[in-house]
Amino acid sequence: MFAEFKHTLRRMRGQMIGWGIGLALYGLMMVSFFDTIADIAGFEELIASYPQELLAFFGDMMAITTPAGYIDIYYCTYMQIIIGIFAVGVGASLLVGDEEKGILDLVLAHPVSRTALFWGRWLGFVAATAVILLVSWLSWVIPSGRSGMELTWIEFLRPFLPLFAELLVFGTLALLFSMLLPSVRMAGMASGGLLVANYLLIGLANINKDLESAIKFTPLHYYQGGDAVTELNWGWLAGLLAVSAVFALLAWWRFQRRDIRVGGEGGWRLPSLWLPFRRRAGTKREA
Amino acid sequence: MSDIVIDVQDLTKSYGRVRAVRDIDLKVRRGEIFGYLGPNGAGKTTTMRCLLDLIRPDGGTVRVLGLDPQADPVAVQARAGYLPGELRLDPNMTVEGALRYFNALRGNKVDWGFVRQLAERLDLDLKPIIKNLSHGNKQKVGVVQALMHRPELLLLDEPTLGLDPLMQREVLRLLAEAQAEGATVFFASHILSEVQAAAERVAIIREGVIVEVAETASLINRAMRRATIRFKQAVDIGPLANVPGVTVLSQDDGTSVLLQVEGEMDGLIKALAAFPVSDFETERPSLEEIFLAYYEAGDEEGN
Repeated sequence: MFAEFKHTLRRMRGQMIGWGIGLALYGLMMVSFFDTIADIAGFEELIASYPQELLAFFGDMMAITTPAGYIDIYYCTYMQIIIGIFAVGVGASLLVGDEEKGILDLVLAHPVSRTALFWGRWLGFVAATAVILLVSWLSWVIPSGRSGMELTWIEFLRPFLPLFAELLVFGTLALLFSMLLPSVRMAGMASGGLLVANYLLIGLANINKDLESAIKFTPLHYYQGGDAVTELNWGWLAGLLAVSAVFALLAWWRFQRRDIRVGGEGGWRLPSLWLPFRRRAGTKREA
Repeated sequence: MSDIVIDVQDLTKSYGRVRAVRDIDLKVRRGEIFGYLGPNGAGKTTTMRCLLDLIRPDGGTVRVLGLDPQADPVAVQARAGYLPGELRLDPNMTVEGALRYFNALRGNKVDWGFVRQLAERLDLDLKPIIKNLSHGNKQKVGVVQALMHRPELLLLDEPTLGLDPLMQREVLRLLAEAQAEGATVFFASHILSEVQAAAERVAIIREGVIVEVAETASLINRAMRRATIRFKQAVDIGPLANVPGVTVLSQDDGTSVLLQVEGEMDGLIKALAAFPVSDFETERPSLEEIFLAYYEAGDEEGN
């Protein structure tokens, strides 16, 4: 399992470097802008003049001049989607990507159990996600002393933990879908679509209270965002981690029992649905 | 220790409505080179992948090295070397990186000196990135990774695919050396000459069914050949047509004749001693023609 974990990290180093640098530059830039934005005269009045629906969709935008509100609006609200693209993409192709390329066939012919391969790669994904978020967190913590963002390193850390858990949920969901759907692309589209739909639903629920009961069954309802700066909801965090663990166990269970496909060998289509009006293969329509 | 290394009984595997293999029975003895012969899509790869638990059979039993691959796949894989028919490697790794990764999956037990020796014999540079390699060089990487841990059992799907004739010969030599060290070699191929050169026994699979398991020599002798004979002057070819196993396919004004010969050539060559021969060419038929010859022979026996 360790060999596969190391191999996964080695293969993901380009993504870690790319995402890490991008998020670090973004963090440095946003920290340096904090004082300017907080000191703009009449900024709160400007925000208050926005349409109420828009303000409700994005949450408490009036808190933007506080460090917690600033992180929430300029990081936590968007990054669940932006880094979510990374998580969904990696999760969907973690095993099935190699299967579609025909690489997995040879790997699994070596003395590595499917269990070791699965968990080695999944842990590689978890570690890569953690490294990206760690770099991103450092880019907020390190320059914060020179800005008015008077938060401790642990206060900065707290909103990154729910984000980490949320990325695990959707990344592992993509992995599970890749075990059930015929291709990486479909798994990525399905899980990415659910992520975006959940994001929109949460925003709409702030406008339409009738949707509140529905969002309780969605993962992003339990994503704290910038609110975690002041107090982390450990129950929600544990819940998100537990959900991703369940998804991972289901994906592992499925991976244990399925054929490893190679191109042209079948199994790429969804199981055909039986339709009463569909002719059976090999039968001819009566004249 | 059992003398049977691969023991397959009633193996059946379907992909949806397509029955890839049906009720296959196969026994491969310890220390032999066994050829698995059939056209593309016949079920060779499916059989081989069932032996390594890459796919699960719908029916039948499989035992490899005395083990059930479904119950203990890692134990089977640790003692086997596999070369897939459609070899795909991580394109961004170097050759050495890929081989070291496979070594890590085997618990870093491989003698790296032996890897270098194999690479040298196959004229394979370990430094390039896989995506920059030609098809033939990628195949060499596949051959090296299959052999590098000196496995007890080699499962090779089209091992010489894409290699030039010199390298093909070198690979067959490596297989013979592995056999001499005690390994059993089970290799699938659709190239008759390759099977003829390497295998002691051969199974023929067609449309998912094994139609013959035979000594290679017996299969070759059963195969038809075509012989084109040109004479210095017009002759009466009647005596040639009467040679057992010889059929006249066509003739041109008595100066040349195209014959089909079943079995050994000895009778024909002796008969030709009485003719003024200027040229004599023989040609092996395609695998498909051998299959047809086999089926026709089978039908005749049945009748």
